[in-house]
Amino acid sequence: MNKIRSFVKWLGGILLQPVIAAFLGLLVGAVFIVISNENPIEIYANMFQKSFFSPYYLTQTLTRATPIIICGIATAAAWRAGYINIGVEGQMITGAFAATIVAIYVDLPGAILLPLSAVVGMAAGGLYASVVAVLNLKFNSSIVICTLMMNYVANYVASYLVSYPFKDESGDGLSLMTRTIPESVHFIRFSSSNTLNFGIVVAVVIVALFYFMGKKTVFGYESKMTGLNPDFARYGGIFERRVMLKTLALSGAIAGIAGICEIFGYKYRYTDNMFTSASYAWTGLMAALIADLHPVGVLFSSVFLAGLQVGGQAIQRSSTIPLQMATVIQSSITLFVSAKLGIKFLKSNRLKKKRREQGGGSL
Amino acid sequence: MNMNMLAVIINSTIRSTTPVLLAALGSAICSQVGVFNIALEGQILIGSFVAIVANYFTGNVYIAVLCGMAAGVLVASLVAVLQVKYKAADMVIGTSVNLLVSGLTSVLLSTILGVKGSFSSPDLKSLPKINIPVISQIPFLGRVLEQLTFIDYLSYVLAVAMFIYLYRTVQGFHVQSVGKNKEAAGSLGIKTLQVQMLAVLVSGALCGLGGAVLSMGQVTLFSEGMSSGRGYIAMASASMGQNQPLIIIGSSLFFGLCQAAGVSLQNMIPSQLTLTIPYIATVVALSAFGSKKLRRNGGKS
Repeated sequence: MNKIRSFVKWLGGILLQPVIAAFLGLLVGAVFIVISNENPIEIYANMFQKSFFSPYYLTQTLTRATPIIICGIATAAAWRAGYINIGVEGQMITGAFAATIVAIYVDLPGAILLPLSAVVGMAAGGLYASVVAVLNLKFNSSIVICTLMMNYVANYVASYLVSYPFKDESGDGLSLMTRTIPESVHFIRFSSSNTLNFGIVVAVVIVALFYFMGKKTVFGYESKMTGLNPDFARYGGIFERRVMLKTLALSGAIAGIAGICEIFGYKYRYTDNMFTSASYAWTGLMAALIADLHPVGVLFSSVFLAGLQVGGQAIQRSSTIPLQMATVIQSSITLFVSAKLGIKFLKSNRLKKKRREQGGGSL
Repeated sequence: MNMNMLAVIINSTIRSTTPVLLAALGSAICSQVGVFNIALEGQILIGSFVAIVANYFTGNVYIAVLCGMAAGVLVASLVAVLQVKYKAADMVIGTSVNLLVSGLTSVLLSTILGVKGSFSSPDLKSLPKINIPVISQIPFLGRVLEQLTFIDYLSYVLAVAMFIYLYRTVQGFHVQSVGKNKEAAGSLGIKTLQVQMLAVLVSGALCGLGGAVLSMGQVTLFSEGMSSGRGYIAMASASMGQNQPLIIIGSSLFFGLCQAAGVSLQNMIPSQLTLTIPYIATVVALSAFGSKKLRRNGGKS
């Protein structure tokens, strides 16, 4: 009985802040909906109806959540180790593009081709992130700025490749995209009436693996330690440089999987700007921040954010509210969650100060 | 290459430099007081947007510029309060503020102006172009300084003014001391928190000004995400310039040149490839600069 009570208390402690933040975020959204001369309650009812409360839309939401969850884990993997990778978008593009090209141009049976393209895609994403890691190790260049710059580079280069060498000439010629990947490598869909596919299983497995890695493996421990306290990690004999290289490569490889799932499970081809316009990577980043980088939390926050976007698309069709309202709500939630972190910090600082004043032991 | 072409490239470099230089000065003032402000991108974007909105409704470019700056300050105040005062994690606040602004500008674009993607209108006034009477007659120099706005000139004045303030006044040294050793500065009676928050607000005004020149200088329009990474490029520029305003002029001109090159090479190479130039240049330049810093530190210790 006591165990159950403490579990509920623990769960409540974790959920309380995100739920309050979500409520406040929706409140911010409501202000803008009122400004746009619409009724916020009606809009929100419509929005959630068309994202969570009907089976068809729920599958839509889960389809959209798939790359977001994986991007969230890619972000969490790097951030938890203290390496601020905001280049998940670029790594996702690189990985997905490489995998797509392999799937289109290599002629092999699906059972071999699918794993081959997945491995190539992961390697491409991982390598793309490693470039920044190596630059940081060799030249001490800022990871934050470099990873972000590489987003633009990846998207423009992919845009070039899809406009010239790998362009699908069979279409009307106006849309910039590759040919479709062969049917033998498509992820299976659970039903012919919706888009939900094997990708969601991949996403859940990645969450589980990442959770396990953090708890049970040496690398997971080392990676977490460098994030929590680099000095202690170094003192404990952890090779920070090696951990950083591995962590960023892993983050990039996971980002690659996100793109692979989107293409092999849903879109079946690379279309110019497909990842930047859907903003999967940034949504994943917000999901990771809202969940405080906890893998299971990322799963739920990603589904919630994906629901906001799917609902946002629905209300865009039926009202004057643009889809980007979802972004405003999402980023407000993230801000409110982090504001909470700030207050927590403040409290602990005050506590430290108090203890210092009382002459207590140093912290 | 003939002289005329060179003049055109220099001219286009100067014009592309202004937003980066202004934002880089903002980044520098934050770094000088020990604040890692990553929300510059959002501060620029909101400046661009609000300047265009104010321009459309008032028809006065000067009011538009002031509104853009005010909007930058408003966004910066989020950073000042949450990140500096309440000590929330800088990266979290910065990235979520940037995302918030990018969503907000899209939403407001459709609710206020009723369009999606981008907005331009013949009713919009662009910043007046300054043609200095005598100089505009000189062949080469006239071409170099053609079509510049007062903000282009102002940005260099601001850089020099910031240098004088930070490195030649007592108050400036006090400001710097906050970044070097906050506790020591505090014990001297400097209100460190106030100085830090104020620095962030100043960066908001500078970025807002940069945003305004971005949307009303070379072109007169607003399009979604038009800051396109300039906030981060400005951070790179400030860090290359070691947060010293005069050196930052040089590093910002370098990024301006890369942007100008990206645009002008489009005739020869597909634009998707030339547009990567500023971003690749940033990565390369950061690496080149970082190595220098590393070696110098190594030499000292």
